[in-house]
Amino acid sequence: MTTAAPTRSIRRELVGWLTLGLVVAIVAAAVATYLRARDEANALFDYQLAQMASSITGMPLTARGPLGATPGADALVVEIWNRDGVEVYRSQPQRRLPQQGPIGFRTVATESGEWRVFATLAGDQVVQVAQPMKVRRELAASMALSTILPLLAVAPFLVVVVWFGIARGMAPLERLAAAVGRRSPRTLEPLPESGLPREVQPLVRALNGLLARLDGALDAQRAFIADAAHELRTPLTAVHLQAQLAERAGSDAERAAALAELRAGLDRATRLVGQLLTLAREEPGVTDRPLAPVDLAAVARSVIADHVALAAARGVDLGLAGPEADSAKAAPVHGDAASLRTLLSNLIDNALRYTPAGGRVDVAVAREGDAVLLSVRDAGPGIPPAEHARVFDRFYRAPGTADVPGSGLGLAIVKSIVERHGAEVTLGPGLGGPAGPGLAVTVRFPAVAAPATP
Amino acid sequence: MRLLLAEDDPMIGASVARGLRQDGFIVDRVEDGHAAELALRENVHDLLLLDLGLPRRDGLAVLTAMRRRGDARPVLILTARDAVADRVAGLDAGADDYLVKPFELDELAARIRALLRRHAGRAEPVITCGRIELRPAAREVRVAGAPVALSAREYALLEALLARPGAILSRAQLEEKLYGWNDEVESNAVDVHLHGLRRKLGADAIRNVRGVGWMIAPA
Repeated sequence: MTTAAPTRSIRRELVGWLTLGLVVAIVAAAVATYLRARDEANALFDYQLAQMASSITGMPLTARGPLGATPGADALVVEIWNRDGVEVYRSQPQRRLPQQGPIGFRTVATESGEWRVFATLAGDQVVQVAQPMKVRRELAASMALSTILPLLAVAPFLVVVVWFGIARGMAPLERLAAAVGRRSPRTLEPLPESGLPREVQPLVRALNGLLARLDGALDAQRAFIADAAHELRTPLTAVHLQAQLAERAGSDAERAAALAELRAGLDRATRLVGQLLTLAREEPGVTDRPLAPVDLAAVARSVIADHVALAAARGVDLGLAGPEADSAKAAPVHGDAASLRTLLSNLIDNALRYTPAGGRVDVAVAREGDAVLLSVRDAGPGIPPAEHARVFDRFYRAPGTADVPGSGLGLAIVKSIVERHGAEVTLGPGLGGPAGPGLAVTVRFPAVAAPATP
Repeated sequence: MRLLLAEDDPMIGASVARGLRQDGFIVDRVEDGHAAELALRENVHDLLLLDLGLPRRDGLAVLTAMRRRGDARPVLILTARDAVADRVAGLDAGADDYLVKPFELDELAARIRALLRRHAGRAEPVITCGRIELRPAAREVRVAGAPVALSAREYALLEALLARPGAILSRAQLEEKLYGWNDEVESNAVDVHLHGLRRKLGADAIRNVRGVGWMIAPA
């Protein structure tokens, strides 16, 4: 919401619409009442005019005096003519109405407004009774007014009641806002769901879901930082101790040995920091590099080439399994090339680390139905099935591996990358050898229908 | 003095062991809680240096089980867990001291000496028996006030004998105090080093009880 735009208020809007509706309803009621009252007044007064005319015809009219009705602006005007058109009687001498009209009802316009006129024949006389239309309109208007007056009187009260009613109805929202405002990254307990109006409950439930997910993510983050700090402290402690030993060294030979150990300790700390950064980068939701078709076979050939020197130094035979023609086939997957390289690098690193000299490490890329399988098989000691679930945890190292250097992050990184690619990773027995059954890590990627771009 | 170091990180373990050996301690290393328990049952170590995050059996569990068995040997916890709650839990489980990684080797050695001293029921940092004075902090021995130069083995032997004056130690017990697991035990070694000690401290300083062992002559 920008500061320039006026803040919308549900309360003001509701009351505004309600007032508008009320006004329209009152006006409609007034118009309807007025129209009906006018129709009824017309019928009634027409009847009255006719009655008046017929009652006059039987009366002896001798003088030009006022008759019956009191003279006034609204009074009836009675005129009587004889057969020859000579005026016989006029109730209000100052009022003159057109005399030669048809027999029956008519409405005439005069300088004093519209008049309703009724003319009838009585023997040899024409009797004409007239009444101003104003009377009828005024009657209709007053009836309409009397209908809407109570409504008009009640309307402001209604608006005030609704104003406060809405305030009461909105109070849970304000309490909710205050409760949300009290939440901080440290206190993400769910918002209270009881005592809330039905309309607000879905919002609160959605918010609680979000809070729970946020809390989980924060917990994971906190646990990761705590784990990382703890794990960093171990190599740093080693470096610290190695530096002290180097300081204490009495002879050049002792110092050289201590410094060599110190360097090994620093290498280990550096590698751990590198792996931590890799893991942080590959954490789902962190990387926004888009996935694109990648030829997994090409990635495998390139990563193997990077590790050939290391494998040779350790006396391990590293290569692609299967006939060369097979491995030359493209194996397209939907992925991030840099992450896939990291994944395979970690798997090959692990395999080389645990395979004794003279053993071999096989990398294989194969299509299987709708999937592309990437596997790395080694001739190391393997991982007992009971450990399979835990080895993907950060910093977890299987028992009996303490003498093999490692950060405990390699497989956690692999798992992060696998998850980001919608792939699956499974462990099983590998090539086997003197060290044990060996380990096979197989990653199953969903294949891409379209051929990979070279 | 022979120490048991239970530390799963090979680099830290190697460095601590080397540093403590330079300070004259015999150090045996184990890398998991299970091995630590087995080593403790041998009952040859004077003190346990315990990391809490041990694989196979957690350090606190090792400590708790040890105290339940009635094993009163001093335990110094070495750990990266520095939260107050962790320290309290460690000390309440029966640890005698607590050192947070990373630490100074000199401080570690000093704390070990202090624990061993307290465990022996001594307040002063000098062990005295008759004319003989032993200062563990400086690894220095004096006879009637005059400094005497001892080899590392001779020193370890004297320290073991002085730990409980009047107690008789057998050849096997003395060998345990002199050699760690990885040390090659020379034949006749105890006799050779005892001979050396007698020559330097005086022939009557160490008494042989035939068929039983050796003891420091009480003052």
